[in-house]
Amino acid sequence: MAEIRNIKSGKLGGEPPRESMPRRLAAIVAGDIAGYSRLMQIDEEGTHGRVKRIERDLIEPSILEHHGKLVKTTGDGFLAIFDSPVEAVRCGIVIQQNMVGRNASLPKHHWIEYRIGVNLGDVIIEADDIYGDGVNIATRLEGIADPGEVYISGGIYEQIKHKLVCGYESLGDRKVKNITDPVRVYRVLPDAAAYGRTRKRRETVLISLLSLTLLIIAGGVLWYLLGQPSTRVADRASAPASSQTGSSQTQPNPAATQAAPSSQTAPPAAPATQQAAPNVQPVPPAAPTAPQALPKQQPAVPQQPAEPKAGVASAPVSPGTPGAQASAVREPEMLPLRGGTFAMGSNDEASEKPVHQVTIKPFAISKYPITVREWNECAAAKACTFTATGKDDAPITNVSWSDARQFVAWLAGATQKRYRLPSEAEWEYAARGGTQSKYWWGDQLQPGLANCKNCADAAGAEQPLKVGSFKPNPFGLYDMGGGVDQWVEDCWHKTYQGAPSDGSPWSAGDCSSHVIRSGSWKNDATYVRPANRDSYDTNVRYPTHGFRVALTP
Amino acid sequence: MKIIRLVMLCAALTMLSFAAQAQGKPAGKDAVLYFVWPQNGTTIKGGFWCRFGLRNMGVTHAGDNFQNSGHHHLLVDVNEPLNPNEPIASDKSHLHFGAGQTEARIELPPGKHTLQLVLGDADHYPFNPPLVSDKITITIK
Repeated sequence: MAEIRNIKSGKLGGEPPRESMPRRLAAIVAGDIAGYSRLMQIDEEGTHGRVKRIERDLIEPSILEHHGKLVKTTGDGFLAIFDSPVEAVRCGIVIQQNMVGRNASLPKHHWIEYRIGVNLGDVIIEADDIYGDGVNIATRLEGIADPGEVYISGGIYEQIKHKLVCGYESLGDRKVKNITDPVRVYRVLPDAAAYGRTRKRRETVLISLLSLTLLIIAGGVLWYLLGQPSTRVADRASAPASSQTGSSQTQPNPAATQAAPSSQTAPPAAPATQQAAPNVQPVPPAAPTAPQALPKQQPAVPQQPAEPKAGVASAPVSPGTPGAQASAVREPEMLPLRGGTFAMGSNDEASEKPVHQVTIKPFAISKYPITVREWNECAAAKACTFTATGKDDAPITNVSWSDARQFVAWLAGATQKRYRLPSEAEWEYAARGGTQSKYWWGDQLQPGLANCKNCADAAGAEQPLKVGSFKPNPFGLYDMGGGVDQWVEDCWHKTYQGAPSDGSPWSAGDCSSHVIRSGSWKNDATYVRPANRDSYDTNVRYPTHGFRVALTP
Repeated sequence: MKIIRLVMLCAALTMLSFAAQAQGKPAGKDAVLYFVWPQNGTTIKGGFWCRFGLRNMGVTHAGDNFQNSGHHHLLVDVNEPLNPNEPIASDKSHLHFGAGQTEARIELPPGKHTLQLVLGDADHYPFNPPLVSDKITITIK
């Protein structure tokens, strides 16, 4: 500091010393009450008392707590400076969040809501006030902020964006009163969920526009079709995949509706998928109206093409995908599954309703959860972010959904095959192994069939048992239920309302959390059910979470 | 021979207790975990936004090992005591907020329910001593 003063005084030559006017860089927080005059009009003394109380109980302590200095309070506002932008914004958030609690018990027109602006700037500090461009910008930001919000300038944003766990919504460059250059403004969203909400709002607008366009097109097509004699059915039937989404509900001819497996239980059309022929089970057409009354399906049993037998797994030993590729990567042992139709969900939990029919295309799934050994190959290739410790044949744990995605991306790249995470529907189809019972072995819990809490000897262990320690399910898959929780591709939805029926992952909606399946060795037996589903934050690791991979043939 | 065995046992036990101690990070001084909303005894119709309050410590992502910070866990109708030497369980009654959320939409079936907050460290372990909120009881109509 002393050197800087020397340089300054040297430069300024004969001017008198200006020590009395200290300048410094500070984060300036300006706040004021929205609609203060209105509140005063309703209840002058009451409002004044409440405001003073808020200043005394909330604002002053919050500022002190965050190592700031209250410069002054005005009738309806306050001005504070902080050394640290992070602390300044945190203080703003704390004030706003506390105000929510204070207002909660009052009728809306009595709410005291602060607008807060935060700016980083060089200010002149005097005993009882601060001055400068930076202060003006902070008050302007406060002026454009919505009640209950914290607005920050670009300068603050640059300082805090990686340090403070919040969402930030850019509001672009704003021209503010009496300031020449436009100011970049960001709105602080105290939690990630709020950020998701605003994005969703935008998406909703886009989606509704899109669907409007689609409706107009569909309407046009309908009008055109109705105007024509029904000679075009044959054309349409030959292109079922593309026509099913847009206009299946408008088809005038029942013959053409075969392409929509969700509305009819008729077996999916042969041209639509690579369905194997034996999947023709007769299903009463009344089924879809009463989902819980779905008859027991008999999904095609996946076997090596040579083995036509269903039932007890004969543990097909040969790896599903031939390791013929010369690539150095050791691929997980994959089991090809034939496609089929099954009833997904159950009535045991709200999240598993409604039970609905899903048609699965043929795919392959790894026989075991991905192991520590397999994971560490990815880590060695620098494609996965951490090296796991533990036994080689233990399932990998403590991975987030994003980690799991990194692994499959690496595996797909290294092998040039379409490895991916299974969809939720594929996972349940594989876990049920052709059964519709509560567990794949029946409706009663049986000891020693899965690695879960209080259902195996290894209860409460620090680590799960190695993969494949228990019997496989009828499809020959191990650890589909218990062991480790397993990530799937789908974003979390509270119920199956609106879920796809073609076995594809359900990715629309709030993707801040994704679906986990299987339950872990730390969960009790109800979590082992193949219909059981739960969710977890996408980017957060947890010690019981692992995954298995799928492969599109 | 016996003495050696005893010494070994002692050593093993000390190691064990050290291992158990190793996880528990001390919570911030004067840190308080509380419910902003709902309050104890509230009767609520349908779903509600549960708001978590934390004083004298910061909320951060799970996995971020910053000093004096953690993330929220909401325990719904949990009666078994918290085990300070294990990660906070994750299931349908132990909700995790590892993305740094400070509020959550909660939907519960009608009836009486208990809610309690527990702050977890970067690895989902409770602090030492555990930083928990009061256990509140609410009624859903």
